[in-house]
Amino acid sequence: MSVAINGTNGITYNDGSLQPSAPVGKNRIINGNMMIDQRNSGGVTTPGNNGYTLDRWNAGLSQSSKYSVQQVVDAPSGFYNSIKATVLATVSLGATDYFMLKHKIEGYNVADLNFGTANPETITLSFWVKSSVTGTFGGGIQNSNESRGNAFNYTISSANTWEYKSVTLTGDTTGTWDKTNGTGLWLNLALGVGTTYSKSTGSWGAGPVLSATGATNLLATSSATIQFTGVQLETGTTATPFEHLQYGQQLALCQRYYEQNYGTNNYEVKIQGITSGLTNSAFKVSKRADATTTVYSSVTQTAGTVNNGNGNVQTAISSVISGKESFWVSMAGTSSQVYTYYFKSSAEL
Amino acid sequence: MKYKLGIIDTFTNKTSCIIRLSDSACIPLDEDNTDYQEYLEWVAKGNKAMEADET
Repeated sequence: MSVAINGTNGITYNDGSLQPSAPVGKNRIINGNMMIDQRNSGGVTTPGNNGYTLDRWNAGLSQSSKYSVQQVVDAPSGFYNSIKATVLATVSLGATDYFMLKHKIEGYNVADLNFGTANPETITLSFWVKSSVTGTFGGGIQNSNESRGNAFNYTISSANTWEYKSVTLTGDTTGTWDKTNGTGLWLNLALGVGTTYSKSTGSWGAGPVLSATGATNLLATSSATIQFTGVQLETGTTATPFEHLQYGQQLALCQRYYEQNYGTNNYEVKIQGITSGLTNSAFKVSKRADATTTVYSSVTQTAGTVNNGNGNVQTAISSVISGKESFWVSMAGTSSQVYTYYFKSSAEL
Repeated sequence: MKYKLGIIDTFTNKTSCIIRLSDSACIPLDEDNTDYQEYLEWVAKGNKAMEADET
């Protein structure tokens, strides 16, 4: 079998198939193909500021209820899903307004980029985009405390048509860039950002940098839409083919930050061993940090309660003691009774 | 009021969590947890959580 190594696109085998030349894990974006949506399962959500939508993608907004977000089955060839933002109410941007989709990358996953040193890696962002509005759109890449950032822009030429974009940025030699379990690098895909947080493209500077100066405001147009998929951030100067992971692999990567069994048949079933006791549930995936956890009765789905299966009595919990590997529910239960509950646990950035 | 202190964890004799009243979420006292960071910012503004329930 012969192979042709192409430094631009990867490795071409003699059957014509193209394989990425970079090792597994080249894409620092998790859920870049928008296939995982644990919270909403494809339903529409109107997020609050910093509220998560599809897994690993959260919303930034200075005014509430101006746009909705949904996982949709609409994508360019080679993809299945995309994330879609729809304008619910138009906004004439004030200087400090911002509306965007954000993706925060954990420091461990970008530590090798060596940002903040004399020898940072060059990075390339690539993605597919489709919008009902044409024009030059913007975005930004920042550090965790938004003290450093670099704006970028890209042009959508044809309305309602998937277009492929890529942007290459040299690494930042200064600033503080988290290299552990905090936010290492923060990508903003702007929907509309005012002048205060919009900066010139082409160089790193003081943040916040949420978008590029002069970028199109999607929220100026009633019912406008924009979709993204195939988002990839990698080292180097070239956008290589998107790294498709197995669904289960990607779900596990997402579950480092968020996990739930809400509304499924997989509720937790625990037999209380002692009065005023505790029940323990293990996470499928170790979390980035101790997780914020909410438990819900498996019958009424009321937050802060569990269901006593012996008569379907709802019992209020006292607290949840949650770590990175598991959580304990503390409640005034009855020995030998069966308790059932759902949970949602978040260790998001 | 946005928060209430969780009960004392009898194994550690410390506050078990911070309960966010809007959704009954239990926030661990972990400075890497962004919900706890938000709680600390709220406290830094002079706010105080409700006392824990009696156990």
